[in-house]
Amino acid sequence: MSTTTTIVTAGDRTVRRSSKRVEPIYYLFLLPTLVLFTLAITVPAVMGIFFSFTDSIGIGTWSFNGFTNYIAAFSDPAILQSYLFTFGFSIVTVIVVNVLAFLLAVGLVSRIRFKTGLRAIFVIPMVISGIIIAYVFNFLFSNSIPALGTATGIPWLSTSILANPDLAWVGIVIVTAWQAIPGTLLIYIAGLLSIPGDVYEAADIDGANKAQQLTRITVPLVAGYFVINVVLGFKGFLNAYDIIKGLTDGGPGTSTRSVAMTIIAGFNGGDYAYQIANATIFFIVAILISLLQLSVTRGRNAL
Amino acid sequence: MVSGKRTRTARVFAVAAALAIAGTALAGCAPADGRETVRFTFSKREAIDFMTKVVNDYNASQDEVRVEIDTSGVDIVSASFVRGNPPDLMLANYNFEVARFVQRCALTDLADTDAAGRIRTDLKPLLDQYGICPGKTTVLPYSVMAASVIYNKEIFAKYGIEVPKTWDELIAACDTLKAAGVAPFYGTFKDNWTIGQGWYDYAVGGEVPVVDFFTKMNEEGTNVGPNSQTSFSKDFAKPVEQMTQLIKDYTQPNAASQAYVDGNLAFAQGKGAMYLQGPWAFGEIAKTSPDLQLGSFPLPMTNDPKDLKVRVNMDLAAMIPTGSHHQKAARDFLAYLYQPQVIDAYNASQLGFAPTTDAAMPTDPRIEGMIPYYTDGAVYQGASVLVPKTIPVFNYVQAIALGGDVKSTLSTMDADWARAAFLAPKLPSDTKGSAK
Amino acid sequence: MSTQTLLTTEALTTPGRKPRIRMERVNWSGTIILILCTATVLIPLYLTIAMAFKTSKQSVDGNAFSFPAPFSLDGFVQAWDLTKFPVGAGVSLLVTAGTVFLTVVLAAFASYAIVRNWDHKLFRYSFFYLLAAMFIPFPVVALPQIQLTGLTHLDNPFGVILLATMFQLSFSVLLFTAFLRSIPLELEESARIDGASTWQTFWRIIFPLLGPMSATVGIFAFLYAWNDFMMPSLIISDPALQTLPVRQNLFQNQFSSNYNVAFASYLMAMAPAIVAYLFTQRWVMEGVTQGAVKG
Repeated sequence: MSTTTTIVTAGDRTVRRSSKRVEPIYYLFLLPTLVLFTLAITVPAVMGIFFSFTDSIGIGTWSFNGFTNYIAAFSDPAILQSYLFTFGFSIVTVIVVNVLAFLLAVGLVSRIRFKTGLRAIFVIPMVISGIIIAYVFNFLFSNSIPALGTATGIPWLSTSILANPDLAWVGIVIVTAWQAIPGTLLIYIAGLLSIPGDVYEAADIDGANKAQQLTRITVPLVAGYFVINVVLGFKGFLNAYDIIKGLTDGGPGTSTRSVAMTIIAGFNGGDYAYQIANATIFFIVAILISLLQLSVTRGRNAL
Repeated sequence: MVSGKRTRTARVFAVAAALAIAGTALAGCAPADGRETVRFTFSKREAIDFMTKVVNDYNASQDEVRVEIDTSGVDIVSASFVRGNPPDLMLANYNFEVARFVQRCALTDLADTDAAGRIRTDLKPLLDQYGICPGKTTVLPYSVMAASVIYNKEIFAKYGIEVPKTWDELIAACDTLKAAGVAPFYGTFKDNWTIGQGWYDYAVGGEVPVVDFFTKMNEEGTNVGPNSQTSFSKDFAKPVEQMTQLIKDYTQPNAASQAYVDGNLAFAQGKGAMYLQGPWAFGEIAKTSPDLQLGSFPLPMTNDPKDLKVRVNMDLAAMIPTGSHHQKAARDFLAYLYQPQVIDAYNASQLGFAPTTDAAMPTDPRIEGMIPYYTDGAVYQGASVLVPKTIPVFNYVQAIALGGDVKSTLSTMDADWARAAFLAPKLPSDTKGSAK
Repeated sequence: MSTQTLLTTEALTTPGRKPRIRMERVNWSGTIILILCTATVLIPLYLTIAMAFKTSKQSVDGNAFSFPAPFSLDGFVQAWDLTKFPVGAGVSLLVTAGTVFLTVVLAAFASYAIVRNWDHKLFRYSFFYLLAAMFIPFPVVALPQIQLTGLTHLDNPFGVILLATMFQLSFSVLLFTAFLRSIPLELEESARIDGASTWQTFWRIIFPLLGPMSATVGIFAFLYAWNDFMMPSLIISDPALQTLPVRQNLFQNQFSSNYNVAFASYLMAMAPAIVAYLFTQRWVMEGVTQGAVKG
């Protein structure tokens, strides 16, 4: 990816990019952005992490308390439960989203009618904000579907899935997937379109059927896009907040409380510093997971 | 493609620049009439119309100060404290979130105002329970809400049921209603706050001396647990078990999927005889059935009528932050708000009680049942709001309401309390009040 | 990648081969399955639209799927007034346009510098530095950002533009660098041989080629900035300058049982986002196709 290329032109000049000198203008391209970024993100992050070693609530007096917050966080069963729920939910949702988005993408690039219209429709969920989605689906799950269930006499459909402590997470997966599929879909479509049609024609000539083409040609060639989607998707689901808050507010009970919800609750709840310690732990864990994902898929990623 | 990209970029830039100019022009649209501006935050949704009218009247009555009402809500107010530009006057629901400002002494001392002199002294413990800024009176009560069981008078009359004054009478009434096919209680368990504010608070408050309990809990601090003298597991077990009995046997089956708005609608349609909500629900119910005859009575948890108490909370309290640059103007508006005609009119409109010594008693028949208890001081603050937000009480009681194990949930609350005490900062306000 | 170009040009020059119009069967089973799947999107959408056109009374009668009868614009009128829609939309538009513009420009420049100098530590590490920041949870930086924007007088829509751009930067750089790696060096080399400076090379050759990816980065930035609620609510201190999602949320808390007004305001807020997407999706789709074919 970063080879120095040698080009022989019509004359006998060879132009080789030197890997020793950097043109000053590249600094101009990069540094202002880097500086702004550091001021806007890194400095606040360092300040925030600093606060995790105090008992501050962001207002008024505060004092250091060393690792107290971290010690308490590691022995807090609520935090552990929120991590377990969030990870479980993220894993399931990543699988659901990527499988469905991939299948949809395959469908949408194949020779179907109404291609533009269908593509437009399937991207609509991405355009709507999470709060609205949570609100609408809350209504559907709590009122419409049970009404449908009672009317048609199907018992398991007649109670709201969101009111069931063991199954509420399913409702959340459904709604999160609904919103996440369009973005993933777009990336897969880009990936599928980057495969030259001739590859398939060659396969046709060799006698491969559609299923074989799909698994032996398509899937390996979009592997890089798959990695992007999984890494980004997983990170996004780890931070799930809007949809869960709107659908169940962490309920029933505390069965669907995500890490982001406990952290944000700490904002005005008086344990700001404690939850920032939680957030710092979360940050490190999220990075470790992504590094793990990238190293496992080494050689296939587009980075 | 090259020129297309260029002009598109240029167009976007031009639009952005134009909007930027428009935006700054909009920002500069402050009233140019030379008045001092006072930022007044108020976010009680049912009363926004009323308060907006009060503000307009005040602005029209004089021309030195212009009050601007800001209904953004607590989160945004907190952010403004962090930023260093808090509002000039706050009229907010008094709870642990707002109490943080008191504890960190971010509010000015209002003890020298006329209003402070007219506040009933027996309401002071209600505020102090959350923590104080020593030596200062930084909060003034504005509206006290009393809440208890709302009942449908027409249904009670139809089945010849009298208002129950003991636990046994309550169960008997429930049995009668159940036999007649009417849901005794209408539950809205989807919204966890309704379980906390209604079911849990009424159950606990009817049996446990709340102030004493929390004082002892604060003293025990990190020792709270299975072996401590005071704990949720020990003291709350009985009332919470009784609560689960009411839920299991006498609440409509679909309660788990009903939200607050669904409950208001259903209760207004006569689908339940009793509703565990506060007076703020009356307005909502009236939207559907304005002529429905409703009344209130405290939930009896023991067989001694002397134990009957109503739940109260400081629905609105006035505060002026130290960071305000318009304190004198804010105090002037504060005095206006505390005029008897304003404070009494407000409380009458919201079915609340004014905390002033010269307050008029509410006359609405719907809350009549609570007045004797309030005047006698037979009141308690809800156990669910006296716990810092780090302990998600509403979520826990929702778990119990939906069939969760009472013992283990209460032990979890004990562990949470101990942990919160462990993390608590040592503030000067820790002489009395909460440990947070 | 260069072999790919060869293949395609071969395809174009081979007689009798029409690369675009092919006499092949339409995949009807696929079409039908996809149409059935659209129900999952259209049903919630119908709910939102139907609710918005109902009267207050009908909106709380419990039959969400019923057709609006009478058909009423009350919800829209009230929502328009209560959220001060023109002002809110204006501010949101300002913030969104600013964020999109700044994100595309800054990310494109930075990505180009990173990709073309990958073997230098500063640039390579900058890439990972920017990516790592994608994982910082917002609450960690929120309160300090509130304090800093307050101190620097950025507690207004301009501060939101800056912060939103910075939050989007990691993802945008990721997309741009991935795309840039697929652009062959030969194009730039030949420009340099002709004497173009790096700046000119970037502006005249690379940036136009980035078109499809700029559209993609742009649309993600647009949707993020248009729909973002939490950050503007905390950063903008003057409620009169608030963005649309924040106004809608305030108002939703205040009037939770007027569903028709709530949904009408959501529809009005959604419309520009949908329009923006439909406008750019042609670019994203066709541009990506072009890019792929070009190799």
